[in-house]
Amino acid sequence: MKVHLSLKKGLKKLITNPKGFSSVVGTVFMVLVMMILSTSVFLWTLSQNTLYNQALKERNQMELDRLNEKVTAYNVNYTVSGDVVTVEVLLKNEGAISIRITTLWVLDTTIKKYGFNNNLDLNLKPGENISLVNDKAISVELEGANATDTFNSWFVTTRGNAVPLEEEGGIILAQVAAGIGSVSMNYGAFLYYNVSKVGSEYVLDNYPNGSEGFTLPQTDIAFEVCLTNFDRNKREIKLFSSSVLWMLFPISPPQQPRGAKWYIVNVYNNGTIASTFTEVTLSYGVPTRVYFASYNDVNSGGFSPSSSGYSGPAAVNLMLVGKIGNSSYGQNIPFVSVYVE
Amino acid sequence: MTNHLNLRRVRKRVDGKRAVSVAISSVILTAAVIAVSFVVLFWAQYRSSAYNEQYSEAMNSDITKLKERLTFEYIFYNSSESNLIVYLMNWGRVDNVTVQTVFVGNTTWFTTFSNIDLKFLNGTSAQDLDIGEEGYFLLYLPNLVLRKSYSVRVITGRGSVFESTFVA
Repeated sequence: MKVHLSLKKGLKKLITNPKGFSSVVGTVFMVLVMMILSTSVFLWTLSQNTLYNQALKERNQMELDRLNEKVTAYNVNYTVSGDVVTVEVLLKNEGAISIRITTLWVLDTTIKKYGFNNNLDLNLKPGENISLVNDKAISVELEGANATDTFNSWFVTTRGNAVPLEEEGGIILAQVAAGIGSVSMNYGAFLYYNVSKVGSEYVLDNYPNGSEGFTLPQTDIAFEVCLTNFDRNKREIKLFSSSVLWMLFPISPPQQPRGAKWYIVNVYNNGTIASTFTEVTLSYGVPTRVYFASYNDVNSGGFSPSSSGYSGPAAVNLMLVGKIGNSSYGQNIPFVSVYVE
Repeated sequence: MTNHLNLRRVRKRVDGKRAVSVAISSVILTAAVIAVSFVVLFWAQYRSSAYNEQYSEAMNSDITKLKERLTFEYIFYNSSESNLIVYLMNWGRVDNVTVQTVFVGNTTWFTTFSNIDLKFLNGTSAQDLDIGEEGYFLLYLPNLVLRKSYSVRVITGRGSVFESTFVA
């Protein structure tokens, strides 16, 4: 009570004392001014620093994204026509972020000239593959380029990364294949199947495992071969219904060899042989399983199971007929021999 | 009776010369303090807004500088014509990237170019590169030694520095 009274008295004294009033007002004003200004400046500076930090964060993210870009360009193939270099390449985005490619640079190290195509707009999602072959190949103008020149090339992504194009590892294989044709056969995957009739359909027994094809029975059999397209120009190969696996038996007298044939067929995933035939496509570098089972050309005579009819050793010829790119194609692969029990 | 006494007291205060001058001086002092305080307030506000503006400009400049990114797509030295062609792409997050100065050199020698004629890839003149745009500039460099390594340092209008190396 006493304290309250003395406080009240002191306040009254302060108010009624005219000498200190201006100082009090001035001090209060100054404190208010300082508080208002310092608070506003502090808050504003803080907001500016936040903006800067945000920009810094954005830039770090950009750098991180750039570092995380992982795209591989492989199996590159150059063809030269006039002053235009056509680049065929396979692209794979192995990173975790999507990538956009805008420019391809091609350097002819032989004549020390370069060219570029900056009209690309290739978008690759994570894990996506793009095959830039045939009509999707990229053309770059390069004056004076020759097919025998050495080329180096690289893509540029929108994040500023350069992606070098790697020469294909199987170039020697491709060259060998080009010497004997465009298709090679995997001899380790040469299988035969017994063919059974289930209802009105013919089925490959023990599909898809089959049995090793080098020793086989005489009747109602089918063959599976694994073919890979190694065309130098990476064109697609389409096999027609007249493609046939032909077996040749050296019967005495040798002037009259005997033969047996199995025309190409389509096989469904459950091992059933299709009664009609659609062309089999061999994409570049992709091992493809091809089946031979019919006595007739399926498109002209329908499917009918085939048997060798002879026993003993036999030479096997794989006679492929079809189209390669836009051109016609034919190749005979004569390297397998079998023993028919 | 009490009212009469109070009236006399006021009259005495008004008539008393000393007391009036103290009151007037207090009023004048208070008014002067308030006036000066307002002047100080406005001045401080003006100064702080000027500071804010300056700081904001500096900050914006730093932020745009941070967002500036250039990549060297290809650097080619044509020894027969003594020309160095530098291909750039703006992969940053800010438009209007200009090339202010270019340094070309190695550990023992360097030369500077300040009038850079920037062009788009189709050959048309470019004042600057916007986001995603590609361009090039050509420098006349007769002194480069073949098969030696050199560096190119590009300084942009905003002051960012980008560097790459090449073999002549």
